[in-house]
Amino acid sequence: MTALGDVFLTGDLWGSRQHDAPLRDVFPFMPVGQAVDMGADEQGRPIIDPRLFDSAEFRRNPYPYYRLMRDHHPVFYDRLHNAYYVTRYDDITTGYFDEAGFNTIPKGSSSGVLGNTQLELSGIEHRRRRNVYGRHLVGKALTRRVGAIRRLATEMIAEFAGPRPGAQVEIDPLTGRRTVELARVFANDFPIRVVCQVLGVPDEARADFFYWYSSMMLGLGGSDTQRQGVEARQHLEDYIEELVERRRREPGYLYDDDGGIIGPDIITELCTSVIDGDVMSTEEITSNVALVVGGGGETTRGAILNLWYLLLQHPEQLAAVLADDALWDAAFHETLRHSTPIGGQPRQVSHDVTLHGVTIPAGSLVHMVDVSANHDERVFAEPERFDVFRHDLYSGKILRSGYRDEGRCSHMAFGVGPHLCPGAWISHQETVEGSRMLARYLDDVRIEVDRMPKDLDGVSLAPLGLGSMRELWISFVPRRDVNP
Amino acid sequence: MTGCPWGEVAAPSRPTDPSGLRSYEVYQRLRVHEASPVIRPRQLWSAEFRDDPWPVLHAVREHTPCYRDWIGNAFWVTRYDDVTSVFVDDANFETRTRRWSMELAHRGRDRRHEIPVTGAETRRIDGAVEAVTARVLDAVDRTRPVDLVREVLAPIAYDLVAEAADIPAVDRSWFVRTLLRVGRGTAWDPRWLDDARQAFDDLSRYAQELLEARRHGDGDDVVCAIARQAAREAPATGDDVAATWCETDHDTLVGSLANLWSLLLAHPDELARLGDDRRLWKLAWLEALRHSPPLMTASRWTRHEVERFGMLIPAGALVLCSVGAANRDPRQFADPDEFRPGRKDLCQREARGQYRADGLASTISPGTGAPSRFPAVPEDRPRSRFALVRDTAVTVSRQVWSWAGSLSSTVQPVPGPRAVTDGGVRMCWSLPVHVGERGAR
Repeated sequence: MTALGDVFLTGDLWGSRQHDAPLRDVFPFMPVGQAVDMGADEQGRPIIDPRLFDSAEFRRNPYPYYRLMRDHHPVFYDRLHNAYYVTRYDDITTGYFDEAGFNTIPKGSSSGVLGNTQLELSGIEHRRRRNVYGRHLVGKALTRRVGAIRRLATEMIAEFAGPRPGAQVEIDPLTGRRTVELARVFANDFPIRVVCQVLGVPDEARADFFYWYSSMMLGLGGSDTQRQGVEARQHLEDYIEELVERRRREPGYLYDDDGGIIGPDIITELCTSVIDGDVMSTEEITSNVALVVGGGGETTRGAILNLWYLLLQHPEQLAAVLADDALWDAAFHETLRHSTPIGGQPRQVSHDVTLHGVTIPAGSLVHMVDVSANHDERVFAEPERFDVFRHDLYSGKILRSGYRDEGRCSHMAFGVGPHLCPGAWISHQETVEGSRMLARYLDDVRIEVDRMPKDLDGVSLAPLGLGSMRELWISFVPRRDVNP
Repeated sequence: MTGCPWGEVAAPSRPTDPSGLRSYEVYQRLRVHEASPVIRPRQLWSAEFRDDPWPVLHAVREHTPCYRDWIGNAFWVTRYDDVTSVFVDDANFETRTRRWSMELAHRGRDRRHEIPVTGAETRRIDGAVEAVTARVLDAVDRTRPVDLVREVLAPIAYDLVAEAADIPAVDRSWFVRTLLRVGRGTAWDPRWLDDARQAFDDLSRYAQELLEARRHGDGDDVVCAIARQAAREAPATGDDVAATWCETDHDTLVGSLANLWSLLLAHPDELARLGDDRRLWKLAWLEALRHSPPLMTASRWTRHEVERFGMLIPAGALVLCSVGAANRDPRQFADPDEFRPGRKDLCQREARGQYRADGLASTISPGTGAPSRFPAVPEDRPRSRFALVRDTAVTVSRQVWSWAGSLSSTVQPVPGPRAVTDGGVRMCWSLPVHVGERGAR
C-alpha cells in the first residue's frame, strides 16, 4: 500500500456514479404538500437538488419545493440547468418592473418555434408592436366582443349538451346523464375559435389552426418534439401568407352584436400597420399570429379546465358561484392564483444583480416563478387552500401596474408591468363567459372520478401540480328549461 | 426602482445606467431544415451520454454545429475550428475560475501561471516521477489481479501532485482526499458543492500551516515558491495556496493515463508495437488524448453579445466547447473514431488556437492551459503544462510497461472511459489487469 492508502480503492471519491439512479427513485411521489428530504448544507439550510426540476414528482407536487426555495433560497442557482430562480412575490414584482435590468431576451426559448415576436423586445419597440393588436384584446373593443364570445361558447355547448349531441358524448340510457371529456368537447377548441375570430381567420381553417397550435406548443423550449413545432409553424406561415395577401386587398372586420364595425381584425391590422416607416413582413405577421394563437390557446384552455376541476372539488364554493353570478370573476382569479397554467417568465439580467446576498452575473437566465409568487405566504394566507372567498386576493379589473392595497394583492398569473400578458383581459372574458354558459346549460355537474388520474392512495383525485389539466371527465344532466 | 407602484419592495442593486433595452430580436426562428429530428435535447444530459457520448456528439457536430441547448441553457460548439477559435478569443469569451463556480471567487489568488510557481512544480515533478512510479509499483502485489487505475496510475498521478508541494507522507492520503473533494465542487450537485467548500477551508488551513513553517525557508516546492512570490506584495495566505491547488488541472494527467492504458489494452497490437520507444509512447498518448479526452468540454462565457457560428449568442451565455466532438471532427482527422497511434494527420505539438505550423490539427486538451501564443519558449522558462503532463505520462507509462512482463485485462470488453456525472471527467475509473511474469516479453 502506498502513502495514499485506499483513497482510490473505496468508491466514495473515485469513480462513484452517484447520479445514475432513475429520477423516480431519487424523487419518489410524496403526499401532496410534503417535500422529499434532499439533505441540508453546512448552515442547516435544506439542499435543493436541481434534478428535481426534471422529475415527475415536481410537476405533480411543486409547492412544497417552491416553499423551501422561498424560505431558504429566494434566489437559487441551478447549476445543472444554468439558471437562477427567483421565487418570492416581491422580488418577481420588482424584476418585472425593472425592464432595463431584467430584460426579455431569453424569451427566445419559444422563438425557435414561434419566430421572433414582441416577447423578446423591450421598451418602445415592444410597446409599438404590442399596441398594434393589443387594443383588440382590451377595453371597449373587447366589451363589444363579449356577445360573440358567448355565442361561440353556446354553439360549442350545443354540440354536447343540446338535443342532438355529437359522437363524443356518452348518454346513460336510464338516467339521461351525459359524460364528456371537457377539454375535448369544449376547452381545447373554444379559445382557438375565439382567437381565430379576433384574428379574422375563416371558420374552415379552425381545425388546422388547432393542430398547428397544439404542435407549436409541444415544440417549445427544448422538447423532443421541437421539429414538429417548427414544421407546424411553417405550415401556419404558408397559410397566413395567402391570407395576408387577401387581407391587403380585402380588409376583414370585427363586428359587435348589433352588426356595427368594431374595427379591422388583427391580421388586417397587422397588414396595414406601419412601424418605423414600413409595413410588417409576412414573417413578422406570422410570428405575431403564432404568438396570439399560442398565448391565447393554452392559457385559457388551462384556466377553464383548472377552474372547473377546482370548483367541482369544492362543491360548496361551486354552489355559491352558481348562486351568485358575480362570483365567477373571483373564481377565475383564485383559480389562476392557486393553479396558474403558465409557470413563469424568463428574464436575462442586463448587469450584475445582487439579491438576497446572491450575485447574479450579467447575462444570466433568471426564471421568475409566477407559480411560486402566487403561493407566497408573505402575500397570500394559506396559499395552498383554494378559496374563492379569500380576502387577500384582488379580483377586480386586471391592471398593468398590479394591485396591492388594503390587504389585497393581484395574482401573478399574467405577470405585471410592461410585459403583462396582452391577452389577460380576453382570457378573463373567455374563461368567465365560457364558464357561465357551461353553468347555464349543464346541471348537476360531477367529475367522473373513475376516469380521472388518481393520487397515491389510488382513490383521491390527482393534484393539479404544474400547468393545467390535460383531461377532465365530467358528467351532467342537460338543463331542460334552456337549450343551447 | 423603475415604475413599481408600491414602495416597500427592496430594489436589487444595479448601476445607474439602465442599459440593456433591446431594439431587435436575438433569437432567430428555426427553419424546418435546421430543427434536426435526430437530436433529442435530453440526450446530452443522460446516463447514456455519460457512458457513450459519441453518437450524439456526432449528430450535433454534423447537423447543428452550434447547438442551442435549452435543457442546460448553453450553446454547444462542436467543430474543431470553431472550438479552437473560441479558445483563442479572450476578447469575446471569458473563462471563469473553478472557484467562481464554487462561489469562492473571492478566496485567495491563483498563482499557478506565475513562472517561479510553474518552475517549482515542473522541477519537483520531473525530479520525482521515476521514484514515485517505482515506489507505487513496488507496493503492488503482482501475483493477484491488479486494478491498474486505482492501484497504480491514480496513486502515481496524485502522489506527484503531493510531491510538487512536498506534502509529508503522513498527510498525503488526507491531502489527496481533500483535493478530490474540492475537485468535485464544480459539478452541479449542491451536496458536492457544500462538501467542496468545506474541503477548500480545510486545504486553506492546512496550507497556512505549511506556509508558517516554510515561509522563510529555501525549499524548492510549490508552497515555498508561492510564499516567495507573494512576499513581494503581501504575505501569501493559505487561501492563495488552496486557490492555486484548486485551479490547477489534476484531471488530465490521471485521466489521460487511464484512458491511454484502457485503449492500449483494448488494442494489444498497438501496445506491443510501442516497446520502449519514448517517441512512440508520446504518439500513443497524444492519440489517446485526442480519441478519449478526459475533459470533454470546456466552459466559456460570452463577455458581450457575439455573432458567431451562424448564431447571435447573447451576453453572459454559457458556451460549452465540446473538446470531445472537436477531437473527433472528420474535417481534421481521418476515421476519427479509430484509435491509431502515430496517425499522420495529428500534429505532435500542443494546440495553438487556429495556427498550425505544419498544417495539421493538434489534440485539444483544455485542462493543460490556454494555447501558447509564443512559438518559442526561452530556455530559462519552464515547459508548458501540456508538455509537463505529456512527459510525465510518457515516463510513467514506459515504467509501468517495463515493470509488467505483460498486461491483459481481466474483463472483456476492456473497461473504457465513462463520466460519473454530467459534464464531469470522462475516464476509465477502474482497469483490472493480470500482470505477467517479469521479463515475460
